[in-house]
Amino acid sequence: MGAIDHPPILRIPGIQDHVLYTFVVMLILVGVSFAASRRVALVPRGAQNFMEVVLEYIIGMIDDVIGPAGRPYLPLIGTLGLFILVSNLLGLVPGLMAPTGNLMTNAACALVVFFAYHYIGIKKQGFGHYLKHFMGPVPALAPLMIPIEVISHLARPLSLTLRLFGNMTGGHILLAIIFFLMGLDGLIGWALTGSVGGIVLGGIGGLFTMAFTVGFLYPLKILVAFLQAFIFVMLTMLYIAGALEGAEHDEHHAESHAAHH
Amino acid sequence: MRSLILTAVAVLVPGVALAQTAAAPAAGGSMVGPYAVLVAGFAMAFAAGLCALGQGKAIASAVDAMARQPGAAARIQTAMIIGLALIESLAIYVLVVAMILLFVQPIK
Repeated sequence: MGAIDHPPILRIPGIQDHVLYTFVVMLILVGVSFAASRRVALVPRGAQNFMEVVLEYIIGMIDDVIGPAGRPYLPLIGTLGLFILVSNLLGLVPGLMAPTGNLMTNAACALVVFFAYHYIGIKKQGFGHYLKHFMGPVPALAPLMIPIEVISHLARPLSLTLRLFGNMTGGHILLAIIFFLMGLDGLIGWALTGSVGGIVLGGIGGLFTMAFTVGFLYPLKILVAFLQAFIFVMLTMLYIAGALEGAEHDEHHAESHAAHH
Repeated sequence: MRSLILTAVAVLVPGVALAQTAAAPAAGGSMVGPYAVLVAGFAMAFAAGLCALGQGKAIASAVDAMARQPGAAARIQTAMIIGLALIESLAIYVLVVAMILLFVQPIK
């Protein structure tokens, strides 16, 4: 790990890296929101237009997954989505690091989601009624269903954390290894030594690796950044929908589904 | 087939014996170290292969459904993306375990 370790450029000795970059993400988000909300016009232009597009997209997703009952949860879902998106994209800039590449940030987001959807479910349905849904469809199956439900609910924040962490850190390690292979310790360094084999094989190999990185790996990392933020937000909405869903009985749920189609 | 098995045995057994003689004086308590790297590599390859199979099946049926009903293509695509990410996360869990074995090295 020593040869491929490259810590971020901007560091403050007393503050941990992921905390510092969380503050950087917060600054970016506050800055964009500030720019979008100055001179709010009926016909939006510039930053306000961009943020309205993003907001419409998120509201559309909420309406699709949770339904109109999910509108009050837009601040939570939107903030999580934008924070994770900007954090992921920050990791693509060489010299900066993604705070979501650290387990602690992801665990914080996942725990917020966990407590939020349980709180939403309990507030909507009452504590006893919400717990009754852990017992499964038939009360006789309760001793079997309760451990299964508890474990599956505990697995949700764990999977949210590890999914985001694995995608971000895996991409980071992959890029680090590729840079090491083609950098001054690898192919390009071999080409610069001046030997014939170095120039031919190292030069061609280095150029090919650079083209591969810029043309394929970076777009893939950008796609993964957007996709992981989308998946996190989508799963949050599904969990909230699941917590709210028990309030409606099955016929109402089928009716509202038919009305959506 | 038999020659393949014999070749594999002929290659692996001296390798294992060498690893044991190399590891025995190095590690005091256990000889798990080199095998952890081996297991990490195989586990990741296995997980990637199975994940690819599962995702292939998911995409195949999604594309089938989109061809059948082009009007529902957007919703099918959304469901497909969610399904792909969930299947991929299983391979990511194996990646995390492999990283723990390689970098954190809980058992030397």
